[in-house]
Amino acid sequence: MALEDQASQILEQVRAQGAQGDLIVDQGEALSLKAKEGALEEHKVTSSQVFGLRVIKDQRVGIAYSEASDAASLQALVDQALLNASYAAVEPFETIVPNGFSLETDDRLLSPEDPASVADKIALALQIEASLASKPEVKNVPYNGVQDMCAERRVFSTAGLMARSKARSMACFAYALIEAGDKNAMEGLGQTARRFDQLDAQGLVDLAYQNTLDMLEGSAIASGKYDVVFDEEVLPSLFSVFAMMFSGKSAKDGVNPLRDKLGTQIADAKLTLTDRPDNADGFGYALFDDEGTPAQATALISEGVFTSMIHNSMTAAFFGGVSTGHGTRGPKSTLGVGLHQLEIALGDMAEDALLAGTYFLITDLTGLHSGANPISGEFSFGASGYLCKDGIRGQAVRGVTVAGNFYELIQRIGGIGNAQYWNWQKTALMPKIRFLDMQVSG
Amino acid sequence: MVVLMPYNLYQPNQLIKWKQPMLDVARAEGVIDHGIAVGANFAELFIEKSLTSTISTLSHQVQSVESGIDFGIGIRLVFGGKVLYGYTNKTEADELKRIINELAAMDLRDPSIERIAFNFSKPEEAHPATLTLSSDAEVESKVAYLLAADAAARAASNVISQTRGACRQKEQHIELFNSEGLHTQDARNYIRATLTAIAADGQEQASGMWSDGGLLGWEMREQVDPKRTGDEAARQALVNLGAKACPSGRMPVVIGNGFGGVIFHEACGHLLETTSVAKKASVFHDKMGALIANEAVSAVDDGTMANEWGSINIDDEGMATQRTQLIKDGKLTSFLVDRLGSEQTGFERTGSGRRESYKFAPASRMRNTFIEPGDADFDEMIGSIDRGLYAAQMGGGSVQPGTGEFNFAVTEGYYVEDGKIQYPVKAATLISTGPAVLKEISMVGRDFSLACGMCGSVSGAVPTSVGQATLKVDDILVGGQG
Repeated sequence: MALEDQASQILEQVRAQGAQGDLIVDQGEALSLKAKEGALEEHKVTSSQVFGLRVIKDQRVGIAYSEASDAASLQALVDQALLNASYAAVEPFETIVPNGFSLETDDRLLSPEDPASVADKIALALQIEASLASKPEVKNVPYNGVQDMCAERRVFSTAGLMARSKARSMACFAYALIEAGDKNAMEGLGQTARRFDQLDAQGLVDLAYQNTLDMLEGSAIASGKYDVVFDEEVLPSLFSVFAMMFSGKSAKDGVNPLRDKLGTQIADAKLTLTDRPDNADGFGYALFDDEGTPAQATALISEGVFTSMIHNSMTAAFFGGVSTGHGTRGPKSTLGVGLHQLEIALGDMAEDALLAGTYFLITDLTGLHSGANPISGEFSFGASGYLCKDGIRGQAVRGVTVAGNFYELIQRIGGIGNAQYWNWQKTALMPKIRFLDMQVSG
Repeated sequence: MVVLMPYNLYQPNQLIKWKQPMLDVARAEGVIDHGIAVGANFAELFIEKSLTSTISTLSHQVQSVESGIDFGIGIRLVFGGKVLYGYTNKTEADELKRIINELAAMDLRDPSIERIAFNFSKPEEAHPATLTLSSDAEVESKVAYLLAADAAARAASNVISQTRGACRQKEQHIELFNSEGLHTQDARNYIRATLTAIAADGQEQASGMWSDGGLLGWEMREQVDPKRTGDEAARQALVNLGAKACPSGRMPVVIGNGFGGVIFHEACGHLLETTSVAKKASVFHDKMGALIANEAVSAVDDGTMANEWGSINIDDEGMATQRTQLIKDGKLTSFLVDRLGSEQTGFERTGSGRRESYKFAPASRMRNTFIEPGDADFDEMIGSIDRGLYAAQMGGGSVQPGTGEFNFAVTEGYYVEDGKIQYPVKAATLISTGPAVLKEISMVGRDFSLACGMCGSVSGAVPTSVGQATLKVDDILVGGQG
């Protein structure tokens, strides 16, 4: 039976029970390759499908999912969701959005045909590993790979929504382990692109090697206050740890620490932060959210002023507003909110001015998942990078920690550069920012 | 054929007939034979069907009730040292053979082995569960537990502004076939109940959390007390609300029992998995028999402990699990070895091949990992410190196996001076390297306990316990704001 027919049957059963609902069907295919000592170590081919149903009956919400797609399992899916709803508290603000649209992303843009063969991708995986392993002092390349992933999401609702989004991504990554005497270092990074021929394997290898070699001589620096610049990989990660501050869902639940700060100055006036799902150059590009609401650029912080939280239909209704197109829901999860693609606006400082004097360039933070409290803003992370002077890398630094409070940190901005950089996943576009007086312990 | 019975999770009279094979034996034979025919020297099918249920509360209300079915088949083919892996949600023989053909397209060769006839065996159930998800989801009693914990937390102080509760239950059924004649089945029942309390005072907010769990059913409710859960979550939140900035720098640290064992998990456990050892991506890969820790340290990874969160009957390669002595009196005595790791390193398998689900090839992973208790006294440990930290509760951590550099977070800490606990501190991270910190553990106490965690690595997130008695690290870098 065609997917559309299965969806129609499921939603008809939901309607017959006097309920509303929406159904998400995720399908994916992926190829993953890893090399070891000149030969392919792992070759993984996967295909998956999962159905996720949300029903709303008598203002109560129930969620159920199934990876099995036979008729009996899909009937059980409906029964479970309805039963689950019967236990939930009344939630008057959560509804199925009256979006009766037919929406579809452009496959030519997001999921282009690619002539590269599996043999081409295997050759690239072997090339990356061999090329990096052949560099002086490289002991081995323990983590490396090439991936080709294609994911499709279909959303159907009792309101008539039929949305389809499909995206493909090619990625490669490599980490080198270098040992010299009793010293060692391991660094690496990745690349992502829509098409295979856009991957730059040699660039990846050269950069991974240089970063690892530089870090071999790394040591701690004296404890104290330092100006800090996070590189283009670390800065988006830091903002994502504290993304709760923008969440309308957290505000509704009473745990967003900035819920009463809208319209007030929460950051240095040089900082303007926007969610930009409309930038098709990035992999966070989105036409619509998981409720079928059009995605749009949303200014979160404008010149330091907290201008907007992000909302789905439920949180928007709670606060008396409209959805900002940030509804998120997976087949296995409840309705939430999420950012698409963060962008920090260009500053007015030339980089040579921004990077004048001494500062700590942080190229890696560890413990992001455990060393932060998004509610209080407190954090303490392991860090590595370089002590720099006038934009030039000096001593490699490792074995130190940085600590502070994020909500205070964004008020201590010394300057913002006049050039923007993507992170390697291409999900955030940010300039360099110089933060003042961060506590570093070594 | 796969059994996909119509059922309702909450109607005990419509149980899934789990005891039937999830894949018809004849079909499994055909698929394994096909793997051999394309030239694999080892072929394996891993079939999984899992039920899940999550009940979430926000303060005194049910926020959501979710449930679902995970189902899929993982196919592993080994060609020499190369692993080919694929999975699908479909059960037809043609689909399974199609995946094999796609996987092996670049490796086709003449058959090199013959399939050994399946010899069905089922492990003895060492971790019995009675209130399983397929028998009764017990939604009402789980909700009652979470709301009672919420009430206890709120009763602790009027500055407790919010609580979040969650009760997650999973019933995982697996079936394995391989070309060496293995055919086995197992069932695992996981339960975990958690409450997070948030304390607020003006603009200041802080949180505390308590969690219980195990490899058993909801009969766990007989072993846990919602008042204790609520009290403990509230106590931690209140301590953190009044905490001062943590001093930073190198200093001695006393690490509390239970989840404090994350220090060994990160500092050493991951470095002993053949997943890293075989690649020489572990600083311990060539240290077997060497003194790698202080002689006060003996450490174990034990999959056999009754009903513990990280326990299993068999691993995800079908081997009976075991108790593995990793370190004895400071000397490295064993790695954690899965099938592939055994072939690559020559060490015997330890029943440590684990995976999150059918979506992952197995890899050597930890189970219940802990430092064995010693005989030191808590007051003696604190009393030996001039200036340092007592890390009463730990959060998560991470490690880079190649260099051994790790970090982990302190979620409840106290500054210690002149041999006495002085005041609570907040936002601290401990960092070091595995080889360094193992030699700095100088005292281990008697108050041993285990705690639940989810460990993420190459084969996904698997339930693992960490554990220890309170212990003292003589010198480690503490990152704080003070």
